[in-house]
Amino acid sequence: MNSGTAKWQRNVFIASFIIPTLIFFGIFTIYPVVQGLYYSFFDWSGMSEHKTFVGFDNFKDMFHDPIVWRAIGNDYFLVAGKIVGIMVLATFFAVALTRFGFKLSGFFRSIFFIPNVISVVVIGVLWNFIYNPQIGFLNAFLSLFTEDKVTITWLGFPAHTIWMLLPPSIWAGIGFYMILLIAAIQGIPESYYEAANIEGAGEWHQFWSITLPLIWEQMKVSIINIMMTTLNGSFVIVWIMTEGGPDNSTQVMGSYLYQMAFRQFHFGYGAAIGFVILVLSLITTIVLQRLMRHESVEMS
Amino acid sequence: MINKKMAAVSIAALMAVSLVGCGGSNNAAPKEEVKEPVKEEVATPTSTPTEPEATKLTGDFEIQYFVGGYGDKWWKKVIAEFQAANPDLKVKESGGPKINDQMKPRWIGGTPPDFVYIDGAGLNDRQMVEDDQLEDLTDWLKDAKNIDGDLIKDILAQPAQEFDGKVYNIPLVLNSWGMFWNKALFKEKGWAEPTDFDSFLAVSEKIKADGVTPFIHTGKYPYYINGSVLYPAIVSANNDDFSILQDMAANKVEAFESPAVLTALNKIVALRDKGFIDKASIQINHTDSQMLFLQNKDAFIPNGLWLPNEMSKDVPAGFEFGFIPSVTQSAGGKVVANTSTATVAIAKKAKNKDAAKAFLQFIFSKGQASQWAELSGAPSNIKGDISASNAPSHVKDAAKYLTDPNTVVIPTITYNADVDKAMMDATDALTISTITPEEWVKRVTDVVKKVSK
Repeated sequence: MNSGTAKWQRNVFIASFIIPTLIFFGIFTIYPVVQGLYYSFFDWSGMSEHKTFVGFDNFKDMFHDPIVWRAIGNDYFLVAGKIVGIMVLATFFAVALTRFGFKLSGFFRSIFFIPNVISVVVIGVLWNFIYNPQIGFLNAFLSLFTEDKVTITWLGFPAHTIWMLLPPSIWAGIGFYMILLIAAIQGIPESYYEAANIEGAGEWHQFWSITLPLIWEQMKVSIINIMMTTLNGSFVIVWIMTEGGPDNSTQVMGSYLYQMAFRQFHFGYGAAIGFVILVLSLITTIVLQRLMRHESVEMS
Repeated sequence: MINKKMAAVSIAALMAVSLVGCGGSNNAAPKEEVKEPVKEEVATPTSTPTEPEATKLTGDFEIQYFVGGYGDKWWKKVIAEFQAANPDLKVKESGGPKINDQMKPRWIGGTPPDFVYIDGAGLNDRQMVEDDQLEDLTDWLKDAKNIDGDLIKDILAQPAQEFDGKVYNIPLVLNSWGMFWNKALFKEKGWAEPTDFDSFLAVSEKIKADGVTPFIHTGKYPYYINGSVLYPAIVSANNDDFSILQDMAANKVEAFESPAVLTALNKIVALRDKGFIDKASIQINHTDSQMLFLQNKDAFIPNGLWLPNEMSKDVPAGFEFGFIPSVTQSAGGKVVANTSTATVAIAKKAKNKDAAKAFLQFIFSKGQASQWAELSGAPSNIKGDISASNAPSHVKDAAKYLTDPNTVVIPTITYNADVDKAMMDATDALTISTITPEEWVKRVTDVVKKVSK
């Protein structure tokens, strides 16, 4: 009897933590997903009182829409580019600021973190200015080394303009992951490195054999997080900098969703794109998890 | 490990839905307050449009108006005047820069405002007609008179757009696209102001030789170059007959395949191949292109007549706006003015259509025309001499152009949103040489065929 009451109280206690979260998760996550999926089966302008049920037609149309394929390609290009760029640079800076313990490391840590405090919108505007062909910083800088004034339209190439969105995205992302990795590196006992030194292992060897295996867990989380935030969030930087242009060359799924749903009055189609983003994110997460199922090294 | 995986998967799910969620939340229409039913004291107020003040308007009357470049001064004033003239009517204003989004759930839910001003992002008259949301005004407009007793259709400078022969919305604003330059700079450098395409090319050659880029546009929003260069060029090439644009708006494939379209596209190609188009154009937005123009880095800019007003804070001393509605006509040809308008309409599900119609009769009057020009800084779509009013001088100039008998004035035309986007993308691609004019036509007609299916 007594133990029954205790169990009951325990359950109430647990429920009091779980249920509010579950309710909010249901209202703000599950419900919109179901709604989005529901609308993706309709031909709806987004404003009309009437929707026409079209079954899987929106999804079939997407299959034949070349812009969708380009957007998916651009999305994964940004994912790959950002993972490589951010992880290499963030790891480099994290190691440099911890292992080589020079005086200004605190200062640089703050400097690298600044882009994370700035809104993505501001970053987009800032880089738009850097890339401006007439009054931009980049062309002005390059002009120092050439006789003629450099007038490259950085965001207006006939193809591959998406490459130009990588530097701002990487620049904006480094700080956070650097801090994450710094914390991981600081958790590695100093004695490991001392022992390695005594054994005659150089910095490079120490990095590969001690640092990297011991921060792999954090790197895995970082990679997955970069992938997810890119697939779902590259909309902002694209919309601020190019609106998917010129001629749809920088369109990503998020920006195309917005374009179709709110500019071209195909809300059902937009919802279908949204659902595909969800599915792609889930699949990519699972695939990446599998690929990185590297044996974690635990510190004892 | 499994927990982590679950967490990662659920975070992915959470982020992925955020976009879907945005859209979804739009549809959760808030419960509307139940309004008091409109008391139909007056049986047939519209049958006596000559003396609308004789009929007594009662009940609630809601006006939705977007606040953008034209401001809200005129709306506030005209609504106050209308309220004073109809003391028994409860007028409700729903205005603001975000009003189109805010009112969306009401339109979806079938409880729209009575009267709507169609301007700004999120409202598209063609789409609203297709969605069956606007009241058919065809018959009403035939003999509707304004408060001064004038037939409304007679005093409109530009007629209402017809959708399948029916009228749903009436243009309130009359602005024009066109080409701008700095008169002072032209005088200083001895450049001739363009009057047709040949003189435009000739002076551009000279401008280029003098080290200035002749032409800049906003590639991020290609409707500027389409509205100011391409559409007038199509009309000029079509013997000044603008019905071709109306056919294009009605998704008739043969209109797009007309030789006039190719002729017009080849004029843009000429500008491109002669190196007149500023390379920066393709990636910059309207503000950046306008700033470069104001700094005299570029000689010509295609834009709308709101430009002087929009940039008034940044216009350098001594800068003098020169304007012509089109430069693509052949020598001796008529100038073609492509108008840019904003319209007003009555909701099909309006609860107080009598008040909405009376409001139309109230605002389409000569007195309101000069008041609109004065308070909004844009020409009104009502014929009438505004030279005596306090309207800004560029507004008076525009009005002069648009009423000149030698100007071909293209009335308001709204293209299908998909076709419009295809034309914008294709024009952009044309200016950076990724496609040919023939490919422009092919691309756009493919979209037209898909849309009209």
